[in-house]
Amino acid sequence: MKVLAPFLLLLLALIATTYIDRPLPPAELVIIERSDCFTLDPQRMSYQHEIRRGETIYEGLVALNPQDCSIKAGVAERWTTSADGLTWTFHLRHNAKWSNGDSVTTRDFLYAWRRALLPDTAADYSGFFFEIEGAEAFFQWRAARLGAFKPGDDADALWRETEQRFLDDVRVHASDDFTLEVRLRRPLPYFLDLCAFAPFSPVHSVSVASFTHLDANTGRMEQSHGWTKPGFLITNGAYVPTVWRYKRDMRLERNANYWDVARVHAASIEVRVIENPNTQVLAFGAGGVDWLPDVGPEYKTEMLAQRRLYEARHAAAIGVAHDRGAELDETIRVLPPPVAGERRDIRALNAYGTDFFSFNCRPQTTNGAPNPFSDARVRRAFALAVDKQALVDRVTRLGERVATTLVPPGSIGGYPLVQGLPFDTARARAELTAAGWTDRNNDGEVEDAQGKRFPTVDLLYSTASPRYQNLALALRDMWRRELGVPVEVRGKDSKLYKEDVKKGNFSIARGGWYGDYGDPSTFLELQRSTDGNNDRGYKNLAFDAMLDEAQREADPAQRLLKLAECERFLFAEEVPLLPICSYVTVYMYDPSRLQGIREHPRLEQHFDEFQRIGAPSGATSKEHAQ
Amino acid sequence: MTRMLVSRLLQLPFIVLAVYTVTFLLAWMVPGNPLENPEGRRPPPEIVAAMQKQYHLDDPVAFYFEYLSKASGVAWVMGKSDHPFDLGPSLRQPDWTVNEIIETGAPVSMRLGITAMMIALGIGIFAGVVGGTRPGSLPDVCTQLISIAGISLPSFVIGSALLVLFSVKLRVFPIGGVSGIESLFLPALTLSLPFAAYISRLVRFGMIEQMRSDHARTARAKGLSERQVALRHALKNAFLPVLSYLGPATAVAMTGSFVVEKVFGVPGIGQHFVEAVLAKDITLVMGVVLVYSTLLVLFNLAVDVMYRWVDPRIA
Repeated sequence: MKVLAPFLLLLLALIATTYIDRPLPPAELVIIERSDCFTLDPQRMSYQHEIRRGETIYEGLVALNPQDCSIKAGVAERWTTSADGLTWTFHLRHNAKWSNGDSVTTRDFLYAWRRALLPDTAADYSGFFFEIEGAEAFFQWRAARLGAFKPGDDADALWRETEQRFLDDVRVHASDDFTLEVRLRRPLPYFLDLCAFAPFSPVHSVSVASFTHLDANTGRMEQSHGWTKPGFLITNGAYVPTVWRYKRDMRLERNANYWDVARVHAASIEVRVIENPNTQVLAFGAGGVDWLPDVGPEYKTEMLAQRRLYEARHAAAIGVAHDRGAELDETIRVLPPPVAGERRDIRALNAYGTDFFSFNCRPQTTNGAPNPFSDARVRRAFALAVDKQALVDRVTRLGERVATTLVPPGSIGGYPLVQGLPFDTARARAELTAAGWTDRNNDGEVEDAQGKRFPTVDLLYSTASPRYQNLALALRDMWRRELGVPVEVRGKDSKLYKEDVKKGNFSIARGGWYGDYGDPSTFLELQRSTDGNNDRGYKNLAFDAMLDEAQREADPAQRLLKLAECERFLFAEEVPLLPICSYVTVYMYDPSRLQGIREHPRLEQHFDEFQRIGAPSGATSKEHAQ
Repeated sequence: MTRMLVSRLLQLPFIVLAVYTVTFLLAWMVPGNPLENPEGRRPPPEIVAAMQKQYHLDDPVAFYFEYLSKASGVAWVMGKSDHPFDLGPSLRQPDWTVNEIIETGAPVSMRLGITAMMIALGIGIFAGVVGGTRPGSLPDVCTQLISIAGISLPSFVIGSALLVLFSVKLRVFPIGGVSGIESLFLPALTLSLPFAAYISRLVRFGMIEQMRSDHARTARAKGLSERQVALRHALKNAFLPVLSYLGPATAVAMTGSFVVEKVFGVPGIGQHFVEAVLAKDITLVMGVVLVYSTLLVLFNLAVDVMYRWVDPRIA
């Protein structure tokens, strides 16, 4: 019958498209990410999920142990450092192989590090490589030469000169295929931590080089990104990507040539991209997904409350196990499953970052008026007047740890706990009075000696998330109530907000910072007068000198103590910013089904440690139905 | 028939060129710079300047002709390009070419659209025949009510409801991503409902008319049952308007599934396209438009061929 013709035609088209787009066999583990990786080129990686993927498929000289973020051997099986802490010698293991069977040699490291130091590559983390002696000068030289390059100039000659300069001036040197010597421009106790960071990973130099060419018009070394695609990509880590479909999924297969492959649990991992936060949670709820690393929707606070109910019911058992030193997941795994209204498949973990509000420390506001926040007493008063516990309990509601300093507690081994300012309204008012602001005419607002009212505080936040608005409103009320100062909130979309922050057009602005590497300086350098991320315009030469002195200290333990003193000075006396709480990252995973999630605040989750317990992938458990 | 085919195929490049030109003008007028990223990952200014030059973003006329010659295969024929249909690199995702993005997303969107049209045809014809043979009866009122709901309820409402019911509560279908056909059923059903509703109304009106027509009366006089009259004689003619609706509808289903793709986490081309427009990723926008306009023309052609075959009166 002719009416059926369109059906048949559609059916044919369906079969054809289904054939073109055949489903992959199910993977052993399924992970959902909210956005795809921009690149699998380790030197150009920048975002957290990208770096994590980079550390899954590449292995640097050393690696981080995800349990405590200590350093473990990677491609280098051992290393030595000179007495002055400047020269590091790495001995590469002979059995480290690329996924195509080639040996990982010092050539691959030199090639990768040179890429990171070429302005041509536009690597986000070039600055980290500047710690190598001669590196920054090399980068600047090449950038200047490229800037002056005109069509018709000899690109080949410039490239040959660049290669020679790298060999001569940048103090990273291979005495043979397996010995790499690096000389730093200053002692850097956390240098190994940098070496574990994905941008320091090697690349397979032969295959990457075959995708590059010199652009005769610009003199640049251009690369086609085709080498990062499965089929061409050669990696040296635990996994190899075998399928990568843009904003759809990535399939990782265990790298049979990885030297430590016996340690890698899951044979295959599917990383699926779902951008809609609600769909992500629903997809997890429907089963078959092992880990959702970034839970977005606002209703996660309700889900976390259900988790707290579950933990409260088993508080005794959890307490006993905790005292024994067991990780929470280990304990929960063997507890009875949750009953209705409870859940155990969501968890807020402390992250390596701090939520804060910046004080504008510049002497004048953008319109030229004197800025009361340039006075540390005023900043202290504002900090002391904030009941952070109330903010965390009633506004953010994710169970965050209240913060009085910037470095998240317990995130760096050997770094002491530093105390900033407590919540103390009486002391807050005293500080404000000492700064000359007090309520002289009993109208509920403070005035200076001339009777002039405290200038209206311009509290800036970004409208990107309701969290910031809610925090800003709560802070406004606290300051009005406790200090008698006029505060107006001003919400801007992220782009305008960032512009205003950079220009210093605010009194107090929302901010936040995640650490890049495992050293307090990743947080403390932010307050240096000359730092590019010093949004507060905080300029204190005494602090810069303290920081310099701590950074120069050769003894690592002493150095951490000195850095702690810098942090105490910042947050007990200077308060250029008001820390609110440590950030948390909310995961969804069921501890009775997935093993290998680590709770260390740096949240180094290594896919090779993930292990499915019990049922194979695709099976569903009925327990997280609500 | 052959003449029609040849002339329509000859028209194709001109239609696509017209679509390309209009899209280009519109896309170029979108404010903003594709090389600028609001999320802060900003390449250094000299690199931006070099990229601007490389992609001719400083010169719309050069961009227009260079892109056209690469995408159409002219550059390849002349030996200036390695790829016959090179749609360029995505400006926002420098590690991906537009060809790669379309190759990943388009089959998914097409599967989704085609499955949706099959469901829509099935539901629509059934409901239309049930209603059209007995207008005013209870089944007719019910299917009409449902079809009004299908047309007027937005797909993110229906989609979310189906998702919660079948995937979260009953766990019949998976959510997110695309694997087998079962993963496409719910999104396809959601996407099909407005089409199904429209088809059912077309069929219903056609059936009512045809059942009153002379040839239906003749068929009844021959002694055929009402059922035979409806299915053998009336439906054939009542189906013709559906057929002409089918071409553009399939194209819409394949391209316009953005909302459904978002709700169900289906990695189709729709979401890339919308993001590309918002971010002024011109190469991606132009690439998707070129591919889809070609497909659209071919689809309409297929429908016309079918139409002539079903109804030989049109020649």
